[in-house]
Amino acid sequence: MTVGPAGTTEATPDRRDDLAAARGPQAAKSSRRKRTPGWLALLFLLPALVLLGVYLVYPVVYSVVRSMFDSDGNRFVGLNNYGEAFTDPSTRTALKNNLIWVLVAPTVVTVFGLLFAVLTERIRWAVAFRMVLFMPMAISLFASGVIFRLVYQEDPELGVANAAAVTVHDAFAAPSHYPGVRLRDGQGTVVGDGDYLTAKTYRPGDVVNLPLVGMQATALPPGASGAITPGGGSTALRGAAWLDVALLHGHPNAIDKVEKGAPGLTVQAVKDGAVVATTTTGADGTFSFPDLAPGDYRVQLPGSNFAAPFRGLTWLGPGLVTPVIISCWIWIMTGFAMTFIAAGLAAIPRDALEAARVDGGTEWQVFRKVTVPLIGPVLLVVFVTLVINVLKIFELVYVIAPGASQASANVLALQMWQVSFGAGGGDQGLGSAIGVILFLLVLPAMLFNIRRFRRERR
Amino acid sequence: MSSVVLNDVSKTYADGTSAVKELNLEISDGEFLVLVGPSGCGKTTALRMIAGLEDISGGTISIGSRVVNDIPSRDRDVAMVFQSYALYPHLNVFDNIAFGLVLRKLSKAEITKRVTEVAKVLQLENHLKRKPRNLSGGQRQRVAMGRAIVRSPQVFLMDEPLSNLDAKLRVQMRAEIARIQRDLGVTTVYVTHDQTEAMTLGDRVVVMKRGLLQQAGGPQELYDRPRNLFVAGFVGSPGMNMVSGVLEHRDDDSWWVTLGSQALRVPESVLTERPALRGYAGRSLIVGIRPEDMEDAAILGAEEGQVLKSVADLVEAMGSDVLVHFPVDVPPVMTDDIKELADDDAVAGPNVLSGTEDTVLVGRFSPRTKVFEGQSISVRVDTARLHFFDPRTGSSLWDD
Repeated sequence: MTVGPAGTTEATPDRRDDLAAARGPQAAKSSRRKRTPGWLALLFLLPALVLLGVYLVYPVVYSVVRSMFDSDGNRFVGLNNYGEAFTDPSTRTALKNNLIWVLVAPTVVTVFGLLFAVLTERIRWAVAFRMVLFMPMAISLFASGVIFRLVYQEDPELGVANAAAVTVHDAFAAPSHYPGVRLRDGQGTVVGDGDYLTAKTYRPGDVVNLPLVGMQATALPPGASGAITPGGGSTALRGAAWLDVALLHGHPNAIDKVEKGAPGLTVQAVKDGAVVATTTTGADGTFSFPDLAPGDYRVQLPGSNFAAPFRGLTWLGPGLVTPVIISCWIWIMTGFAMTFIAAGLAAIPRDALEAARVDGGTEWQVFRKVTVPLIGPVLLVVFVTLVINVLKIFELVYVIAPGASQASANVLALQMWQVSFGAGGGDQGLGSAIGVILFLLVLPAMLFNIRRFRRERR
Repeated sequence: MSSVVLNDVSKTYADGTSAVKELNLEISDGEFLVLVGPSGCGKTTALRMIAGLEDISGGTISIGSRVVNDIPSRDRDVAMVFQSYALYPHLNVFDNIAFGLVLRKLSKAEITKRVTEVAKVLQLENHLKRKPRNLSGGQRQRVAMGRAIVRSPQVFLMDEPLSNLDAKLRVQMRAEIARIQRDLGVTTVYVTHDQTEAMTLGDRVVVMKRGLLQQAGGPQELYDRPRNLFVAGFVGSPGMNMVSGVLEHRDDDSWWVTLGSQALRVPESVLTERPALRGYAGRSLIVGIRPEDMEDAAILGAEEGQVLKSVADLVEAMGSDVLVHFPVDVPPVMTDDIKELADDDAVAGPNVLSGTEDTVLVGRFSPRTKVFEGQSISVRVDTARLHFFDPRTGSSLWDD
């Protein structure tokens, strides 16, 4: 639409006439504006121009210039810094991690946001739920990072993630009570996965002694009672496993009065290399295989008896640190996505959903074929906004990743800072180059959003 | 196609408000039933319960031989036309109409065939590729109709489908809906607050007020034999004039109803038709006179006891007839029903002038009348068509 000299409006042919009419008064106003002197307009714009110039335009331009100089800023190096940025392994790790972030995080957050927005729409206390979900947004990124660094501490006593992991693990696989315990030397050989197999063979009716060493008597499971040697007169292959203390007056390989049985151990009877019977020791450490066929057997204590307890995952190690930081970001941003998407949902005409239900749609079909297409534009804006946000991620990586795994968790923004001011050695030329790369990466997403907003305003 | 039966259907919302109270209706196969009433009377709620969009608090609804109380909307095989049309904004006209068929996983060829057929009937063939936002109101309305028709459902449910159209289009679409319904013979429940729509479309009209059924019957029956003040005032446009009068049984065995300083003679035919009237001798009651039953006495002439004399207060020439407003010296009738009708903007209720001792009556005169404002007039009343209501209960006086 162009404004003629007389303040008339010339509508492009595809515009409707009433639109042109609506623009009439505005066009008249704009012609009046033309009569105000240019210097006056400039005067009013000056404060904003100065601020924008000093704090926005100048730093951007200077960064671009600086990126073409060496670390001292004295020698012009052309695009060398950019070349170095793409060959330097740590910058490449940062690029790779940024790519992972962009591919995973915004998608997950958008999906979660959609899920929560839809779910909270149909419950009572929806506002309360949404407020809780939105709250992480109110916490500074730095503080959130600290929270999650604590959550993912490796020691289950400190980190809630591992505490939960250990609890769940132990609920399914009972932890062994005898970590690191072994059969007294000479009583057996270690085969396979730390299984102890007796050297001698036994027949039904024999008594097998399994003296254990390598733990404190106080560490025995509660309920362990004094060890006894199973009596004679039985035809079963039987025996006892006990904690064999050889101190003071104790005798090795023999059951003394003070010694206690080792309950809960798995014991296997092995014939010709195959396990033929399995049993568990009682409170006094005794066990028995009553129904064995005549023949020669060895007795085996499977290594699982002595396995070290599950202590959770090394969350903050090099392998898992990036997913861990992404999980923290998801926790923070889901509330943001949900709030926007919920607003989009509220704008969907209720009738259209009801019509789809009457038309024969199941709730899922209604969601997929009506709800999602109708909030598509909102989802896109949220997604792009998240992409921009993700590319600039810095604080979380800086706070959550411990020094040892920071290199593996590196992202561009962090790398820029490291190179410019941190351990990287103060090369602000390279830092500026990385900054410019980051800027170029964000730019397309930014332009997309701006264009969208413009189109909506029209 | 099937019948729809509502048995003691009630709707109570979580906050305790009761929208529909023990509604009993039998809608036979192929019938066009109109639910009509002022806003908030529960007609839309009743419709939405049939559609399955609203839980049923009490009673049962059956479609065909199935009780559908616990059957979700999608399996009830009903099609609904919404007041807002509720088109899917992201789909073009073709896909809007085809939506229900796609969900039913019909073959592409079958869908195209049925949609094209329907589009032809509704004259939408040239618009199939357009999005709803690029359509005019009338076209949107037709798409909404098409979406309902294409599925050949058991029952059509229409929730004020014409109220967003301008007056001319409304009349046109009204005729179209009537024609389509007649051709397809699908059982239809139609909700409106417009009594003209109700009267013109319905095989049977159900008048509701505050969740209660007031009267159900053919349009002419509602007009001729309204069961109470509410129905009488609701049906007809302009609405029935209501004045309080006193019934007199004179010595010569003639019956008269006194309206202020004037009196009308109640003919024998009315007394035979309404035996209950005899019990009201000497008592006050509410007299209803339809505007159509009044005429300029100068044109028709009048006998004694058929004339009301007054001064023309306002004359509205409609072309086809002339509406003349004139006062009579009777205090206005103010019952709850009439207040409710007066509060509802959409209804052409009776004239109520509060705070005066006069009631303004409206007469519909022939256009040949030469009455002008301020002129003294004699109005001939067709006394055989007078209506009488009990002032306390508001119910019409027929037989005991």
